[in-house]
Amino acid sequence: MNAILKNALGICKKVTDPCIDFIDKKLEKFDPVWQAEHGTGGLRSRYPDDGSGIPRYREWRGVRDTFQDYVAWLRNVGYMGAMAAKSPVHVVKGIWEYRWMGSFLGSFQFVDRIFEGYRGRELDIANIHGNAIVRILTLRIGLILANDRRLGGGPMSDFIIGLDETVPPLFTAGFPTLNAEPMQTMPEFVVCDVDQNLDPYYIDVAESYGLAPDVCSRCSAETGVALDDAFPVFGKLVLSTNQPCNASEATSMFQRRRFHQWGIEDYPFVFAMQHNEQNGHDYTREELKQAIAKIEEVYNVKYDWNALFKAAANMNHQNEIELEKWDIFATPYSPLSGISESLYKLVEWALVNGHDAYFNKVDDKVIQIMRQAVDDKYLPYKGKTRHRAFLWGPSAMYYTDFPTWTQNCWGLTIVLNMDSTMGHNHIDTEDPEKALTDLALFSEKGVMRHHAVGGWDNVDAVWAWAKRLNCDMVICNDNVACKGMNGVHGMLEERARELGFHFMFLPHDLEDSRTISRQEMRSAVNKFMSVVMGEEPLDPTLVEFDDSKAW
Amino acid sequence: MLDLKHLIYFENLLDEANNELVAKAVSDGDLALGYNCYYIPETLLNLPGCFSTRLRAPHCVSTDIANYYMTVHNCPYVRSILERAIEGGYNYLTALFGAEACSSMERMEEHFDLIHPVKNDAFFTTIIDAPLKCDNAALNYYKKELNDKVLAPLAERGVDTSEAALKAAIEDHNEVSRIIMEIGDLRKLPNPPITGYEFHVIQLVSEVCPHRLILPYLKETLDEVKARAPEPEFPFRARLVLCGSEVDDPEFTKLIETCGAMVVADRYCFGSFPGREQIVIEDGETAFDAICRHYLQTNTCPRFMPGEKIDQRTELLKNLVEEFHADGIVLENMKFCEFWSYEKVLQAHVQTNELGIPTCQIEKDYALTGAGQLRTRFQAFVEGLEIKQIESAAAERRA
Repeated sequence: MNAILKNALGICKKVTDPCIDFIDKKLEKFDPVWQAEHGTGGLRSRYPDDGSGIPRYREWRGVRDTFQDYVAWLRNVGYMGAMAAKSPVHVVKGIWEYRWMGSFLGSFQFVDRIFEGYRGRELDIANIHGNAIVRILTLRIGLILANDRRLGGGPMSDFIIGLDETVPPLFTAGFPTLNAEPMQTMPEFVVCDVDQNLDPYYIDVAESYGLAPDVCSRCSAETGVALDDAFPVFGKLVLSTNQPCNASEATSMFQRRRFHQWGIEDYPFVFAMQHNEQNGHDYTREELKQAIAKIEEVYNVKYDWNALFKAAANMNHQNEIELEKWDIFATPYSPLSGISESLYKLVEWALVNGHDAYFNKVDDKVIQIMRQAVDDKYLPYKGKTRHRAFLWGPSAMYYTDFPTWTQNCWGLTIVLNMDSTMGHNHIDTEDPEKALTDLALFSEKGVMRHHAVGGWDNVDAVWAWAKRLNCDMVICNDNVACKGMNGVHGMLEERARELGFHFMFLPHDLEDSRTISRQEMRSAVNKFMSVVMGEEPLDPTLVEFDDSKAW
Repeated sequence: MLDLKHLIYFENLLDEANNELVAKAVSDGDLALGYNCYYIPETLLNLPGCFSTRLRAPHCVSTDIANYYMTVHNCPYVRSILERAIEGGYNYLTALFGAEACSSMERMEEHFDLIHPVKNDAFFTTIIDAPLKCDNAALNYYKKELNDKVLAPLAERGVDTSEAALKAAIEDHNEVSRIIMEIGDLRKLPNPPITGYEFHVIQLVSEVCPHRLILPYLKETLDEVKARAPEPEFPFRARLVLCGSEVDDPEFTKLIETCGAMVVADRYCFGSFPGREQIVIEDGETAFDAICRHYLQTNTCPRFMPGEKIDQRTELLKNLVEEFHADGIVLENMKFCEFWSYEKVLQAHVQTNELGIPTCQIEKDYALTGAGQLRTRFQAFVEGLEIKQIESAAAERRA
């Protein structure tokens, strides 16, 4: 039966492919990548010059890619519709109650923006990833809103464990009757990537309360959410944490007061800062045990190791594929790179963390495409890659669509982001004692932490990564408020010179796009590429443009 | 009041890190062991043949080279220390014992290993991971870290780290602390025979100088202060608790006092709260256990996350205000200090709105720049406190 179907498809393709090629040829002048190649326009041509960042029409990518992209877009609409249909009253109340809910409306524009200029297999993977991201976010937002006590509550209101967004949630799989939800992810962490204009409001709230403007803007925004009483309200316990760094610890002190007001207890689940040492691993392991005991006590449930093992198996599978992906990233044939890689990985690791087998299916699908690309010696981005860069960059890269822009404007492929190298050790799925040890190590290497704290060696590892992935360039996001990374500025420059990498700092203020705007970030790259590297842009319409009012 | 006999001598000792007493101890063959943070118990460094010295960078006004390494967007205290190290100001040190208490501090301490600014062949650096909690797991972790990264390297270099040596170090700590606290307690009096500035100087010399050499001066100063006649009338218009991050320049305390408010209690890094409490060895404890427990329990750094430690910080401030009869609190943070920036705002809210204690929040640099603006802030705060006093006196009269 399959063979018949295959044959039929083959015949169909023989008929349709020439037609599609014919149409593509006729309409190629509307393709912005073609326009940039031929000097008649480019990817920015379809935007009005009003700073809004809303394009006049969808990007023409050829028949097949436009259709595929549109179907993926419709699928995202479907996920959102399903979320609203499941608990319409809570969703409407949520939009009315929470400022940040409004910003999620920018998601469609966000997904379009971050995959701009993608074609072929890059686009295939990007849309598979994009759909997975939208699916999980809508499911989680729906769950949170449907059980938010402020909005009337729901059946799970008392059965949710609140987690600080940077606590890796895998260990909570051992509580199958409970849900673990990150407190800050929806009001602040993810949504700031979608809408650059949201977090400045919360930052202003915190600063007008007296918080110094030089603290990390992410933590400042979280503080603002707490002061503004804009956290969703659920569960009986919140696990705060010292991940990833100092300001994150400090903002917990504000947030706990707000949680207490809502009758939610807080418990600091801390991790060794020096996470390369045995003493540190032992301590984190002990902390993990205590956190589990605390949840058992508060929710009156027993830890189920088998449930954990099931999720750990998902995570192991994910990491096995991840290791294979890294091998493919080292070749010139990977159709997965840039924001499609890093944003998906961030969501898959930090939010899903083995809890949802759907992501294993996505990984299986994507690795197939990647393997095929290697076999076919497929050159992504039409072979226009000029430089391969390893990026050390947190979330300012998302609202700026940074890797997409560097690719389209300068042919600079972001092969991997440092956050994608988070905990990837195998977790034992039989022995609870061994699993605890593995989980401790896994959890210590969390978001923005693996290569940022715990000593210089963790930062210095960036060069080994760049070498392993055959990168000739390293871009280090220069967060003006990150004390830890500012503290190694000179050393990074010296090491880059010593090892012969092209190296640049990319200034930004994480979630406050007013301090250093998107255009200022782009200008830093423009100057480096034109002055230091002496190169011309691939798409001149992308060199300088106004998107200051855009989401 | 008559000048204290040793005050000028003490001030001179604070003029440079490698002061007369430090140089003397080093020339006697003692190992100079530097540290920056309260997480490193000075008691563990005052073993036979060693002495602790908390690092300062007096008169550091330019941090150009440190700025290259750490950027201008980093804590000015750590930049100043690194700059001073690069200038050769700590070449007398045998070791720097660091603590990953905050990332700025940790990065600075790492540079002592990465760029070798201390030109001394025997020099080495270790950095402990500093726990954020105070429970048994954290205490055990703290003990392991201090044992592996402080005691073990010292023992390798032939330092006596035996129980007897540690007990002697506790006795030494308790003796210095008893003297400092006795002097400090005099600030509780309605008209104290010592100023906040003088106390700050005395407290600092006790932290930066070898104990065996500074102790005779401290003892003499205690006797002198006890017998000292105060001013006929309390010369200040208000009494304040100073609370916050690194303050190792007594000129800052002097600045507040020239605005009319006496600093009656010092709850900041380099201050005596915490720092000068007695270490007690409890039943079943070794001296090492007691030191670790003491320093973890008394530590009130704003990086501690558990609710009980947050409450401890609030209580400590409230108690200091009550015990020292303070009219208000100055909450300060070193620029770019994330922990104290948060703690300052939180305590300002709690102390003012929930406990009714007036507070003044300021942000400062390491070097005493911006003195004009700070003076204006302090003067306004003192005036506010005075108006409160006048109003409450009037209300009492009416009642």
